[in-house]
Amino acid sequence: MNRSNEAFWWSLFSAGGVMAALFMPVFIVLTGLVLPFTTAGDADLDYDRVHQVVTWWPVRIVLFVVVFLSLFHCAHRIRHILMDLGLRAVSTVLAALCYSGAAAGTVAALFVLGTL
Amino acid sequence: MAGEATITLEVFRYRPDDDGEATIQDYRVPYHEHWVVLDALNWIKDHADGTLSFRWSCRMGVCGSCGMMVNGEAKLTCAVFLKDYYPSAIRVEPLINFPVERDLVISMDDFLAKLQAVKPWLIRDDEEPPGAEYLQTPSQLAQYQQFSMCINCMLCYAACPEIDGIPDFLGPAAIALAHRYNLDSRDQGQSERQEVLGGEEAVWGCTFVGECTAVCPKNVDPAGAIQQAKVASTKDWYRHVLLPWGKR
Ligand code: SF4
Ligand code: FES
Repeated sequence: MNRSNEAFWWSLFSAGGVMAALFMPVFIVLTGLVLPFTTAGDADLDYDRVHQVVTWWPVRIVLFVVVFLSLFHCAHRIRHILMDLGLRAVSTVLAALCYSGAAAGTVAALFVLGTL
Repeated sequence: MAGEATITLEVFRYRPDDDGEATIQDYRVPYHEHWVVLDALNWIKDHADGTLSFRWSCRMGVCGSCGMMVNGEAKLTCAVFLKDYYPSAIRVEPLINFPVERDLVISMDDFLAKLQAVKPWLIRDDEEPPGAEYLQTPSQLAQYQQFSMCINCMLCYAACPEIDGIPDFLGPAAIALAHRYNLDSRDQGQSERQEVLGGEEAVWGCTFVGECTAVCPKNVDPAGAIQQAKVASTKDWYRHVLLPWGKR
């Protein structure tokens, strides 16, 4: 039976694509533009308040899921770009490098978010 | 042709039995506003050079046999007008990503084998063929109708950048056709087709470049069909891994 495990990586890739498209622009606009450059941030950007929000468990979980899936999205995309650029012969090596990179990032995110 | 408007066609020539060299040959062809590229090729065949070989049949975008590269783009030559290029020369070449048999004629063997591989017919568990038609509601028809409009013109294979890198890639039209039967309420063959569809060289060969959908003259949207087939293959994979004892 020809049932490729690519299905698994692709499911992370597509879920990560949804996460990245849905949340990343909002995060970037909020933390990169709105809060620092408008008066909306004056009260809210205070360290204690942000810390309070981020360490609330539901927020930690959401952030973790967003980071984890987005990393695997990137890894899968980079692997396929490299394959298309002619590295198809070493696709197993690419897969190992890209996905273990994403896994390392995921562990780091778990550590950071868990110890905040 | 004195005084008459003309246009130059730069035509790819390859005759394996002669010199075996691929060359480009220029032909000056009368220019008419209502002529398509295929009319110009037929004029060459009838008046200038009877040795030129190319495929065509219906002249109206139905048979799918006249696909060629026109100035580097995969087109049905019966559907592209000279006036869209005039007065510049038009280069006509065989579809890329296929072996050339002769002049503008490509070999379809590999493509036909891929179509055949996905079992593009209604598969039923019934032992006996039914005495009457299988009934279907308009909404069941709407599920797959778009994917059934394919005329096998192979433009999508010429447009797809993955075919070049993965020669065994099942390709847009064959995957869209498999998906068309999988979506058909009368069909029961999804698991049989999945054996071909779920592989590395099938749906997973596609990285969603989308060129197949861009060139398709019948709005089949093969890229959309492949994405849907990826979702179906992913569900199949999880079902197999999480419920290995379940129904295959
Ligand atoms: S999907 Fe479209 S481009 Fe591809 S073979 Fe069918 S009609 Fe032609
Ligand atoms: S000749 Fe039939 S599609 Fe062009």
